[in-house]
Amino acid sequence: MEQLIKLVRTYRLTAGLAERLTLAEEVFRLIEPELRFFVFGSLTRPAAEDVLQEVLRGVATGMGKFAGDTTAEFWGWCYRIARNKVNDHLRKQAADRLQPMPPEELRQLAESSAQASPLSPEDKHDLEIALALLARSKPECRDFLWQHFVIGLDYTEIADERNLSYDAARMKIGRCLDEAQALIS
Amino acid sequence: MPHQNTDAEAKLKKLGQRLRQGFARQHPVPQQSLDTVRDAVRQEWEREQEATRRTSTKRGPAKAKPREPQEPDRGE
Repeated sequence: MEQLIKLVRTYRLTAGLAERLTLAEEVFRLIEPELRFFVFGSLTRPAAEDVLQEVLRGVATGMGKFAGDTTAEFWGWCYRIARNKVNDHLRKQAADRLQPMPPEELRQLAESSAQASPLSPEDKHDLEIALALLARSKPECRDFLWQHFVIGLDYTEIADERNLSYDAARMKIGRCLDEAQALIS
Repeated sequence: MPHQNTDAEAKLKKLGQRLRQGFARQHPVPQQSLDTVRDAVRQEWEREQEATRRTSTKRGPAKAKPREPQEPDRGE
C-alpha cells in the first residue's frame, strides 16, 4: 500500500488537470472497494450508493490538500470523511441504518474471496469460528470487533468515531476479544 | 499486551481479510464511481484556476503602480 501514498503525494504536487485525473483514477481504484465496503456495511441500499458517491466526491475534492504523509494517515482521513457522511445521513434517515449482515451473506463474501486464493479446510474452519464469535458476542462487542477486524479501522479511528481516548478504545476491543476468546476456549 | 496473538484475534483477522477481498471481488470499481471522482477533480481544479486568476488580477495593479519619485536630499 506504499503505492497509495506515493500516488497521493504526486497528486498533491501535480498542477495539470489531465495528470490529476489519471492519478485520481489510480488512487480510487485502490480505495473505492474498501470505502464501498465501509458504507455498504453501515447503510441499507439504495441510500448506501448515494452516500458512497458523496464520500468519493469528498475525498477527491480534498485530496490535494490532504496534510498527512503516511498511508495510515490517508486511510484515517478517508474513513473520517466516510464516517461523517454516513452519520450525516443517519441523522436524517435513521431507518437506513443497516442491521448486521446475516451469516449466510458473510459466508458468500468469504467464498468469493476463494476465487483469488482458495480456502483450505483449516481456513474454512477458522472462518466458521470467527462468524460464530461475531454472532455470539454482545451487540456492543460485535460492533467493536466488526469495525476493528472486519472493516479494518485502527484504534485511533475507532476512538475518534466513538469519542473515546485511544487507550479506552484499545482496552474496549481487548476486553471484547477476551470475551470472544472465552467463547472458543 | 495481553490481547495480542490470541486464537480469536487471528481468526477474526482472517475473516476480515476474506470478507474485504470477497466484497471487492463482487463489486469491481464501477464507472459511476470513477465519473464522480473525475467530476470532483475537474471542479476542484477549476476552482483553483479561478482562485489563481483572482489573486493575480488583484496583484496586477499593485505591480503596475508607478514608483513614487524619490525625495530630494534635504541636507543640501
